[in-house]
Amino acid sequence: MLASFKHYVSVASCFAKLAVQRQLEYPLFLVSWLLMIPIQYFSGIWMLKIIVDRFQPLNGWDFPELTFLYGLGLISHGILVVFFINTWHIDNMVINGGFDRLLLRPMNVFFQLVASYVNFIGLIDCIPGIVIFLYGCHIVGFDWSLANIGKLLLVLLGGVLIRAALFIALGTIAFWTKRNASMVGFALSMLERATMYPLSMYPYILQAIFTFLIPIGFISFYPAAEFLGKSNGVLELPLSFALWTPTIGIVCFLLAHWVFRMGMKKYESAGS
Amino acid sequence: MEAVIEVIDLVKEYTIAKKGRGLRGSLKSLLFPQKTKVNGVDGISFSIAPGEIVGYIGPNGAGKSTTIKMLTGILHPTSGSIKVCGISPQADRKAVVGKLGVVFGQRTQLYWDLRLGESFELLRRIYQVDKATYEENMAVLGDVLKLNDFIDTPVRQLSLGQRMRGDLAAAMLHSPSVLFLDEPTIGLDADAKHAIRDFIKEMNRKMGLTVILTTHDLDDVEQLCSRLVVVNHGKVVEDGPIDSIIGKLTPHRLLVVELERPCDDLSHPAATIIKQEGLKVWYQFEKVRVTAAELISDLSQKLPIQDLSVKEPDIEDAIRAVYKGY
Amino acid sequence: MLQAYWYITKMKLLTNLAYRFEVFASVGTNLILMLASVFLWQTAYKGGVGTVQSFSLQDLTTYTILSIMLGAMFVCDVQDTIYYKIREGQIVTDFYRPIPLLACYLADDIGGMLSAMANRVVPLILLASIFFGIPWPSSALSLLLFFPSCLLSYAILWLLSALVGLVAFWVMELGNMGMVKDSIVRVLSGSIVPLWFFPESVQTISKFLPFQYTYQTPLGIYIGNVGTKEALGAMAIQALWVGLLFLLLMAGWKRTKKKTLIQGG
Repeated sequence: MLASFKHYVSVASCFAKLAVQRQLEYPLFLVSWLLMIPIQYFSGIWMLKIIVDRFQPLNGWDFPELTFLYGLGLISHGILVVFFINTWHIDNMVINGGFDRLLLRPMNVFFQLVASYVNFIGLIDCIPGIVIFLYGCHIVGFDWSLANIGKLLLVLLGGVLIRAALFIALGTIAFWTKRNASMVGFALSMLERATMYPLSMYPYILQAIFTFLIPIGFISFYPAAEFLGKSNGVLELPLSFALWTPTIGIVCFLLAHWVFRMGMKKYESAGS
Repeated sequence: MEAVIEVIDLVKEYTIAKKGRGLRGSLKSLLFPQKTKVNGVDGISFSIAPGEIVGYIGPNGAGKSTTIKMLTGILHPTSGSIKVCGISPQADRKAVVGKLGVVFGQRTQLYWDLRLGESFELLRRIYQVDKATYEENMAVLGDVLKLNDFIDTPVRQLSLGQRMRGDLAAAMLHSPSVLFLDEPTIGLDADAKHAIRDFIKEMNRKMGLTVILTTHDLDDVEQLCSRLVVVNHGKVVEDGPIDSIIGKLTPHRLLVVELERPCDDLSHPAATIIKQEGLKVWYQFEKVRVTAAELISDLSQKLPIQDLSVKEPDIEDAIRAVYKGY
Repeated sequence: MLQAYWYITKMKLLTNLAYRFEVFASVGTNLILMLASVFLWQTAYKGGVGTVQSFSLQDLTTYTILSIMLGAMFVCDVQDTIYYKIREGQIVTDFYRPIPLLACYLADDIGGMLSAMANRVVPLILLASIFFGIPWPSSALSLLLFFPSCLLSYAILWLLSALVGLVAFWVMELGNMGMVKDSIVRVLSGSIVPLWFFPESVQTISKFLPFQYTYQTPLGIYIGNVGTKEALGAMAIQALWVGLLFLLLMAGWKRTKKKTLIQGG
C-alpha cells in the first residue's frame, strides 16, 4: 500500500514537472490568456454592480455579498482549471484513441488522465478569483477566524470535487455516443451562472435541480449564504455546509469515477 | 515450451454508423442515425513461443491493429480468450502491460516539446525501474540505438529515424519480455530502417525478446521474421514459416529462356507460356509437377537456348496473392 | 465565380448539419445563457419596479432573447481560420488559389450562419417563446429597420474578426488574440447588459468605438428604444464603421500578403 502510494506520488510529481516545463516552452502564448481571463471576470462582476446600482439588490443580495459569492465560485473554478483540466478532453480522447497509451502503462488510467497535465496556466483564472473574493471578504467584513478558514478550505475542496465530477460524467458520455459531445462549453456556462450568481434568482424547479439532481448549489451558493449569515431561501440542513459540500463532493466524485470505469469498458480505441 | 501468447477464437464486433449523402441524407442521419454491426476480428487463434519474431501482416482493415490492441489490453474482445505470459490482459491489465513494450510507428509516446531524456525519466518512474537497472538498460540501449547523440535534444527537433529510435528505447526501458511493433519503419529512410532492424535482431538474440510486428514493409518481414501470421477479413489465412507460405501461396515459378534464333514449337506439356518477347520466352510451371532441372533439360533438347534464368516467387507475390482475395 | 462561393457556403452548411451533438450542446449553452440573463432581469425588476430609465421588464427580456439569437447566428470563424492557417503554414498555398481568399472565408462563415439559423436560432426562438412568450418587435417599422441594421452589425463583427486574424501575421507567438477581442466585444457591445445602464463616461467613450453598433444598435431598434430618425442615424454610423474597417482590412491584408509571399510563409 505504502509502496504503491509512493509510486503514484513519484509519477505525479514527475508529470507535474514535465507539464510546467512544456508550458514554459512558449511563454508568450500566455499573453492572450492573461488579457482575456481578467477582462472576462472583472467585467462580469462590474456588470453585476451596474445592475445593482441601477435597480436593487438581487433577491436581497447586495453588491458586497454578490462579490463574495462571485469570488468564491470563481476560485473553485480556477482550482479545477489547474488540477482537472484534462477532464475537459475526455470526449476527444475517446474519439482519437487517446486512452491507448494510458492503457499500455501499468498504472490506473484515471490517475494518469488527471495527473498527466497540471495546467499552471489555470492560475490565471485563480487571480481574478482571489482578487474578487478578497475584495468581497473585505467589504462584507468577513471574519478571518481559524474556524472560518478551515470551513473555507473544506468548501473549496468540495466545490472542486463537484465540478470535476460533473466534467468527468459529461466527458464519459462519449464512450457510449462515440461522438465529440462538446459539452464543456455547456457545462462551463451552466456552472458559471449557477455558482457565481445567487441561485435564489432562478425558479424553484431550477433550484431543486441544482440542489438534488446536479448539486451545483453546494459549490458556492449555500456555503456563501451561510458564511454571510443569510437565509438561502431554499434548503435548511442540520450542521454546516462546510461539512455538506465536501461530503457531497466526495460522493459525486466517486460516482463519476465509477461511471468513467464503466465507460472505459466500452472504449473502442478509434482514430488510428 | 510454454507459449508467451495464446489466442483462441478471438472475435471483435464493431458498430458502424451509416451516413447519408447530400443535404437530405445529412438531415436524415441527424434525426435517425443508422447502425450496422461488423466483425473486425472474426475468430482468430494462434500461439507464439518465447523468442519468436512473428510478422503479423495483412491488408489495411484486415483486423491487425484491432488484434494487437486486444493483446495489449487496450480493447476488450467480444468473445474468445487471450493469455499473455499466462495472464489475461482483460482480467489483469496492469500485470500484463508491465511485461510489454509497445511502439506505434505513427504515434510517439515521447513528449514533443521536451528533451528525449525527460520522457525516459517519466517512464522510469511509471515502470518503477530502479536507478541502477535503468543505467544498465540505458547503457545497452544507448549503445545499440546511438541515443547519446540526441538524448538532450527536444523531440520536435529529432529526425523521424531518431524519434523512432527514441520510441524503441522508451518501449524497452523496463526490459519487457514481449515487444509489439506497429509499423515501426513507416516513412523511414534506408539507413534508419537498417538500424531499427538490427536493434530488433540484437534484442531478440541477446535477451530472448519475443517480437510481434505488423508492417507493410516486406523487407522488414524478410529480414526479421521467422514466422508469418497472415490475416485478411478478420481471419487468419496463413500461419507458418515464411518459405512454406510462399511455396503454398505462389506454387508457380518462372523460367525465362532466351533463344539463339526463332523457333516454331516452343511448347512443353508441364509448363505454360505466359509471355513472349522477341527471342525471350517466359514459362510458368508448378514445382510439384515438374522440377526446374527437368524442364530445362527437356527444352534444351528441342530448342537452341542461349541463356536462361529461374525466378522464384518472393514474399511480395505471396502477399499480393492474399490481398487479391485469396 | 459566385457559384464557387455558393459551393463553399453549401459545403459548410452540410458539414455543420452533420454534427448533431454539437448542435444540441450549442443550443443548450445558449439556452442557459438566455434563461440566466432573463431571470437576472426578472430579479432586478422584482417587487413592482415598473420601468427603469424607460425600460420595462418586457423590453429587456426581448432584448436579451434577441441578443442571444444574434450571438448564435453571427458566425465569425474567420479569425480562427486565419490564425490556424498561419500557424500550420497553410496560408501561403491558399494565396495561390484562384479566388480571393477573404471572400472564401466570408462565404464559409455565411454558410455557418445559414446552418446556425436552421439548427440553432429556430429551436432557440421556439424555446424562448415557450418560456417567456413570443419576443415581438415594438412595431412593424422597427422590425423592418432591424434587418438591415443586423446585416451592418454582422459586417462590422466580421471585419473586426478578420482584422484580429491579421494580427497573427505579425505576432504569432501571442496566442489567439481573437479571444481577447471577443471578451471585449461581449461587454462593450451591450450584448449582456445594454450600455444605457453603464456609467455616463463609459457611454461617451463607447460612442466612438465600433462595439456598441454591433449588438445594441439593432436590438435598440427592435425594442423601439430609438425613434426612426435616430435609428437611421445609428445605421449611418454603422455603415461608416463598415467602410472604415473595410479600408483598414484591405490595407492590412495587402501588406501581409506581400510580406508572406516574400518570406514564403
